[in-house]
Amino acid sequence: MKKSIIFSIALSLGAFSCSDDFLTVTPETALSSVTFFKTESDFIQAVNSAYVPLRTLHNINSHLLTEQHSDNARYVRNVLFGATENQSNLADFNVPTANGITTNGNVLTAYRQNYLMIARANQVLALIDAATIPDATKKNVKGQALFLRALGYLDLVRYFNKAPLQLTPVGNRSEAAAALGTADQLYAQIIKDATDAVGLLPAKSVQEAGRATSGAARALLANVYMIQKKWADAETQLRAIVSSGEYSLMPNYADAFSNSTSNKNTRESVFEVQYLEGSAGLNGNFLYSMLPFPIAANELVTITGTSNPQPLSGEGNNIPTPDLIEAYETGDKRKDATIGYITLGGALHANKTFPYIKKYARPHALHNNHGMNWPIYRYSEVLLFLAEALIEQNKLADAAPFLNQVRTRAGLANTTATTQAALRDAVYQERRVELAFESKRLHDLVRTGRLETVIKAYGDRVKADKFRYYFPSEGFVPSDAFTNITPYYGLPAAEADLSPNF
Amino acid sequence: MKRKFILSKSKFRTLYSLLALVLLFTSSSFAQQSITGKVTSADGETLVGVNVSVKGTTRGTTTDANGTYKIEAASSATLVFSYIGYLTKEVVVGNQQTINVSLAVNDKTLSEIVVVGYGSQVKKEVTGAVQTITAKEIKDLPVSQIAQKLQGQVAGVQINQTTGRPGQGMNVRIRGQLSVSGGSEPLYVVDGFPITGNIGALNPDEIEDISILKDAASTSLYGSRAANGVVLITTKRGKSGQTNVSFNVFTGTQVVPKKGRFEMMDAVEFAQFKKEYYEDAKQPVPAEFQNPSIYEGKNNDWYDAVLRRAPLQSYNLTVTSNKDRVSTSLVAGVFNQEGIVINTKYQRYSLRLNSEYKVSDKVTIGLNIAPQYVFDNTPRTDGDRGTGILFNAIHTWPVMPIRDDKGELTLFNRFPSSTGNIFAYPNWVRAANELVNETKQTNILSNAYISYSPIKGLTLKSTFNVELLNQKFFFFNPSTATSAINTAVPVTAVSIREATDNLGWLNENLATYVKSFNNHNFELLAGYTNQSFRSESSRIQADTYSDDRLPTIQGAINIARGGTSSNVQEWTLTSLLSRLAYNYKGKYLLTASIRRDGSSRFGSNNRWGTFPSLSAGWVVSDEDFMKNFSKVSFAKLRASLGVTGNNNIGNYTQYALINNTVNAVFGNNVAPGAAVTSLANPNLGWETTRQLDIGFDLGFLNDRFQFTYDYYTKNTTNLLFAVQIPQESGFTNFNDNIGEIKFWGHEFSLNTRIVDRGKLKWSVNSNISFNRNKVLALADGIDRVYGLHHITKVGEPFGQFYGHLANGVYMNAEDLKNSPVVPGRSFVGTIKLVDVNGDGVITNGGDRDDRTILGNPFPKFTYGITTNLTYGNFDFSVIGSGSQGNQLWVRHLYSTANLDGVFNLHREVKYRFRSEANPGKGFYGTTVGGGTATGIERDWQNSRFVADASFFTIKNITVGYTINKRNKLFRSARVYASIQQALVFTKYWGGSNPETSAQQNGQGDGGNLSPGVDLFNYPVPRTSTIGVNFNF
Repeated sequence: MKKSIIFSIALSLGAFSCSDDFLTVTPETALSSVTFFKTESDFIQAVNSAYVPLRTLHNINSHLLTEQHSDNARYVRNVLFGATENQSNLADFNVPTANGITTNGNVLTAYRQNYLMIARANQVLALIDAATIPDATKKNVKGQALFLRALGYLDLVRYFNKAPLQLTPVGNRSEAAAALGTADQLYAQIIKDATDAVGLLPAKSVQEAGRATSGAARALLANVYMIQKKWADAETQLRAIVSSGEYSLMPNYADAFSNSTSNKNTRESVFEVQYLEGSAGLNGNFLYSMLPFPIAANELVTITGTSNPQPLSGEGNNIPTPDLIEAYETGDKRKDATIGYITLGGALHANKTFPYIKKYARPHALHNNHGMNWPIYRYSEVLLFLAEALIEQNKLADAAPFLNQVRTRAGLANTTATTQAALRDAVYQERRVELAFESKRLHDLVRTGRLETVIKAYGDRVKADKFRYYFPSEGFVPSDAFTNITPYYGLPAAEADLSPNF
Repeated sequence: MKRKFILSKSKFRTLYSLLALVLLFTSSSFAQQSITGKVTSADGETLVGVNVSVKGTTRGTTTDANGTYKIEAASSATLVFSYIGYLTKEVVVGNQQTINVSLAVNDKTLSEIVVVGYGSQVKKEVTGAVQTITAKEIKDLPVSQIAQKLQGQVAGVQINQTTGRPGQGMNVRIRGQLSVSGGSEPLYVVDGFPITGNIGALNPDEIEDISILKDAASTSLYGSRAANGVVLITTKRGKSGQTNVSFNVFTGTQVVPKKGRFEMMDAVEFAQFKKEYYEDAKQPVPAEFQNPSIYEGKNNDWYDAVLRRAPLQSYNLTVTSNKDRVSTSLVAGVFNQEGIVINTKYQRYSLRLNSEYKVSDKVTIGLNIAPQYVFDNTPRTDGDRGTGILFNAIHTWPVMPIRDDKGELTLFNRFPSSTGNIFAYPNWVRAANELVNETKQTNILSNAYISYSPIKGLTLKSTFNVELLNQKFFFFNPSTATSAINTAVPVTAVSIREATDNLGWLNENLATYVKSFNNHNFELLAGYTNQSFRSESSRIQADTYSDDRLPTIQGAINIARGGTSSNVQEWTLTSLLSRLAYNYKGKYLLTASIRRDGSSRFGSNNRWGTFPSLSAGWVVSDEDFMKNFSKVSFAKLRASLGVTGNNNIGNYTQYALINNTVNAVFGNNVAPGAAVTSLANPNLGWETTRQLDIGFDLGFLNDRFQFTYDYYTKNTTNLLFAVQIPQESGFTNFNDNIGEIKFWGHEFSLNTRIVDRGKLKWSVNSNISFNRNKVLALADGIDRVYGLHHITKVGEPFGQFYGHLANGVYMNAEDLKNSPVVPGRSFVGTIKLVDVNGDGVITNGGDRDDRTILGNPFPKFTYGITTNLTYGNFDFSVIGSGSQGNQLWVRHLYSTANLDGVFNLHREVKYRFRSEANPGKGFYGTTVGGGTATGIERDWQNSRFVADASFFTIKNITVGYTINKRNKLFRSARVYASIQQALVFTKYWGGSNPETSAQQNGQGDGGNLSPGVDLFNYPVPRTSTIGVNFNF
């Protein structure tokens, strides 16, 4: 018996003594949060990741929610395809909404991607003050994180007018849900973050091209003041951008938008979403969601210039409305730079020629993969904001030159408006054509209180002549079209299912 | 526990001595004499380890390696010879000094030895729910996987063949166990080694017997891996004193019967449909479809075109020997199956060498080693419209030519867009022929052990087991073909290479102590084990080849970064285990066991789990009062209770991970980005199942009729689930242990030897099982989780089909007016859905949702029946397997009944609504209205997608003839013919395989939360074979 006890002890001894080490197996092909957020490089990588959701947010999503959901763009109905309600409901102003909740998938994407950006910014902001990294890096990274968080909340407050206010990183399930913040609370936070960011961020000329700058933070801050009608505060920020000497208009309007691999972050660019053509998954493909369908390969290639064009079918979205096309004054150079035409042999329509958004249509190498950047703030908008802020303060003489700077570049004569009301309309008109398809239209209509009247009239025109608005012979305007014209979207249903707060 | 045991032992020893004294006084004592002898079996084999005792005393010994014994006994004494598997024999000593005994084999199955966890037991004394299958019972089935052979054979075990892909797709569920996100496959233990590899690759001819452990008492010694049930596989050993050589071969052919295939329109019917489509829409009919009869005789059956008649062969050589302390068995096998989809090939070369050497009476060493090579090439058959060529083939317009005028295979087909053709249809025959999709796997399974018996009754055993796997996967899509629909050919050529190396090892140290006295029988087991597994893999994807003939990595112009990666997966497990089995006279049975598992997968706050069990049995038939019931030959009551776990929760789920490829772009530069992409949970643990089992076994008429019944109820709690959390957190989910599911069921087995008279023997075995489940709780604040077409909701069974209730079509304007509608999308002739919430409007999702539970993928009951008939040298057997009340989600119907005519259509669409005067069968709606109207029928999941998938399948029919004439060539031989998957009786209309599931785990169709989905998998062929078994 003794022997056997010794035998079994001998067998087991080795393994027993190191059982804790034996049972600790950490992942070898991923880092764990315990070891991260230490070095300068860690924080730079962390803030870099906070930019990433912008690529999703503006790779057609923002366009659908603010341009197709306005009088600027529509869908081209293809009766062979269903499951297009997420897009067509936006254009038809019949987004299904009950009790302040909507099932629209594009709304859900906007909500989730903005919070992804905010959460990544929160992660940086929670740890960076205590980090031992060079001061210049600390200020720069913190400024970028604050800017991105402000940008995220500005998007959310404009879409929903209320949203959960989450300012710290979440560590477990119980912390996940945050209470709904009111518009006032959200705007206060955005102003605080953007103001801090202005102080922390370097100017554009000394910042790596494409990252947030003090100028970008000022533009964002001014945007908020414009919404809040704090015209003088807006003017202060906007004048600081103008007087910084960092920005000017590109001589040619078309050059204000990037090509697939060049002409990015120009001197007109205040902030733009960065894409990179290629197989690394950092590309955009929004151009392919801005075309009428079905389009044959030989038709598509005239727009994209790729080596491997593929025919595309489905329902076309984000097609310029005749209303927008007509909004351009005669001689406006921007019209040709913004809108092109394509004839589709396979269209089920009597008129097979459709307009498309030409502004971003730049040749690139491969099908469905391009590197054109998406503008968030351009200097021309700074000028138009400034003109508007001055007009609202009745500084009419000061305002006109800023407006005319934009018109001159477009090949148009100076404005003839002189009264405050006329100048105000002139700026509105100018914004519509200058900033067409830059995800501004819905926000402008809401900000200026014109949504209901403009969209109602537009809806009547659509119903009166459906073929003019790209319906094929078999298509029809849904009976509930233009029944839900509200300034804000309902909160997403999928999130309402999860949150105890709405 | 052990200490206590020793104490009580000494008490018993005192009692013993007293008893012996009494015996001495009462019996007339004679002089003791020394008796020797040899024990053999009836056919002369030496029997080693036979118990020889003097009746009425405690004196006893066992036979040695030569089968001899020596014992002291008086001439009036009686010697008792007992040996497991043989009938006990008593011999009065008299004046003999040499007593040679031959023992007869005990046919009564209850004396069979049953392999149980970490040991074996006499079947009669088993207190858990264990079912065994021996190799003999399943030898003729011409299939490659052991699970295929078990279909219909075991009560409480549902085995579905979800795909016909050779070597793949067996879905085994013991007692309906399931999981929200973990795996639900049972644990497979081969010769004591819980393996991590694919059991489907194991050569069934290597198997001696299989034990299926179902209740907690029999599985809980496997602790945190036991909740899905345990399958113990024992491979072939040499039999005492025998050398056997056998050679088994079969060859056959496989076909997919025409009957039972999903019915699609032929070219004329399709052209007619298209013609009517335009007519009904009051549109001009495209020239291609104005006269459907032009397609007469020009049908292209794309599905049939990728199928073929395919051969299969199997060769197995088995040599077993047990002589002079050495026992060896060798199994060498070759299995070669061409699949019934073009270019499918499955080959297995396997070898197993099991050897054991008795170093001395006390020490035994053994080594089993089983290397194997498996080659598998399958075109991308299974999968969605994206990639599965079978799915794509049925969708392809039958008016599109497979071959051009010169007889060459077309590259791809596309009609003018004026015909409503949206997709380019590549040639699937080319895809099947030209795509390479092959896996080469080399693996070695090995066990080495030493066992030592220092004193009588005590055995110490230490084992070291190793499992090695090297797997290489190669995929090549040349420029001339593709499996993806809507792709014009030529395409960009792509290659994918994956290499995986796995190393798993297990060290077990077990001590077993057996002690019997005065009819009290004890067995105590204690053990300590360590197991570790590590997998390293890499993947390289490259594309854009200048020459399809050279699919090397360097031949590619581009390395696709997104498809190129490396990965390491690792886990460790340390365990302590113990079992005490006690019985009195083999009549009152009690077993208690416990295991403690420490696992690297569990969170740091929750590293160790404890899994106890207790079971009891009472062999009622051994009681005196049962003597009056002479027809009852056996009766046993059993009950067990225990806790088991499921540790299939992922290797690193507890950690918060940083993804360092969340890269940003600035200008034209890539800036590396890193983000926290998951939340840590240091409390993460195993899924816990508590199970109660009550059952009984009955034998009648000398066990000619044997009946077994089990009732079980089990509750699984702490289900691993990625609980969705509000995304203002920046995360989508939190991995937590949540919820509770209750399972319960009844299992009945009846084995009968109806006729056993001379040459004629007829037996029928049958079983039926009823499994149920109900979700009792999910996470706090969450009462439902959605699958793809499913809902898992508190108070309902798991994974129910979910969507709108369809109620025909709107028959006319009045019907439309009086019924709830989808605003803007309902018209006369479109699908009519039920307004479940009664708000007057049909709504899909959101706060006014009308969706409801539509059906159940789980059967009401499953059953199996096996019959064997022998007459002299002829034998005949049939195996049937069935399932009743289960439904399938006919997932492909969203496109095979797409009323817009983008794809070829299910033949039933001919009987759709066309007008008030011609309303069809009321199932499919009008084609008029384009996607706005027809889209609801297709995209809003509804009860039209749910189909009854009850079935009864004759899995196998075999007829054999045995030649017993010993001749120069062989000792005996048997010739047989066998048909596998002979007949399927079902009303299922969604495809040919009612057992199908798009997949078995994961989050996709057919996965954990979305069970029972038909995505047009590889069909299961009917296989006809002839075979010969030679014994030399």
